[in-house]
Amino acid sequence: MSDVQGKVLKHGDSTRTMHWVHLLCFILLAVTGIGFYWDIGFIENIFGGGAKSSLVHRWAGVVFLVGPFLYIFFNFNRFARFMDTISRITKDDFGWLKVMGGYLPFIKVEHVPPQDKYNAGQKMLGWLIIIGCLLMILTGFPMWLMRDMVPAVFLSLCYNVHFWTAIILILLVGGHFFLAAIHPKSRVEFSSMMLDGYIDAEISAHHNEKWFKELKQDA
Amino acid sequence: MTLFSESGGITRRQFFKGSGMLLVSAVITGIFAKIGFDASAASDEYINKRIAAMYTLDEKMTLRKSHLNPEITQIYKEFLSPGEVKPLTEKSERLLHTKYGKEIPALIEELKKPHVPAANAEHAA
Repeated sequence: MSDVQGKVLKHGDSTRTMHWVHLLCFILLAVTGIGFYWDIGFIENIFGGGAKSSLVHRWAGVVFLVGPFLYIFFNFNRFARFMDTISRITKDDFGWLKVMGGYLPFIKVEHVPPQDKYNAGQKMLGWLIIIGCLLMILTGFPMWLMRDMVPAVFLSLCYNVHFWTAIILILLVGGHFFLAAIHPKSRVEFSSMMLDGYIDAEISAHHNEKWFKELKQDA
Repeated sequence: MTLFSESGGITRRQFFKGSGMLLVSAVITGIFAKIGFDASAASDEYINKRIAAMYTLDEKMTLRKSHLNPEITQIYKEFLSPGEVKPLTEKSERLLHTKYGKEIPALIEELKKPHVPAANAEHAA
């Protein structure tokens, strides 16, 4: 057994709340979006028909935008630390990507380089989610509020970007869910984001070695 | 049990990265909004020019009201409502008006029927 004992508060209350709100909105947006894009009657009927499904989609989009905005407004320090972590790309991150963190069964791994609070894969996911959400918001609102004002070609561009970004985001979130909640090597992360925010210090010392060293120094 | 947690403060680098991300997002949103509003303004300008052109063309026309067009009144007097100018007769409805939506299949079936004998019969009557 490792000599590292104790617990690490990895995700604070506000971060977990924002993650929950964003997740629930994302599920609503994805389900309603799939429903009326492919005209799947039973999905639309869950929300009371096509028109109501569209209404749920639009207002979930508003919460999808306002949620992170409020989080950043009231927790700028956390957001700044998050941005700093995901934008700090070092040779350890490239080393992690080279072996894919040891998550793929066909890549033989002897040593996984030490990682920050977020590993290289999570950093990439962070950027893709940010860019994806920005694209969804930037294309979604003109489709709703400016549809009678903008030329058809601009609206068509918005529809195409919105659709393909949604497909990529759904696949990414699916992969994120698999790694965070199902994969035996990393599912310990699940409770830290979805429940109490804590994770065993031993796990952090192993998976997020560089970050844990900083925590020990601060302690 | 030992509890570890991050300190609440941020470094100057973290502040600039956080602010930078917000700034970049605001700039991208601004650029996208500008494209949208410019496109909307261009669209409005085009629509206004088109409206002006339509009114100008209309003002230049000698005959500006279809019900005062002598050719139309003649068609009504001689064929659509013999002896008078009476709109919305069964014949004028059928020949001059179009159909929409659920009426289309019936119209297609009607158009498939041979027309010349039917027209001759109608004319004879």
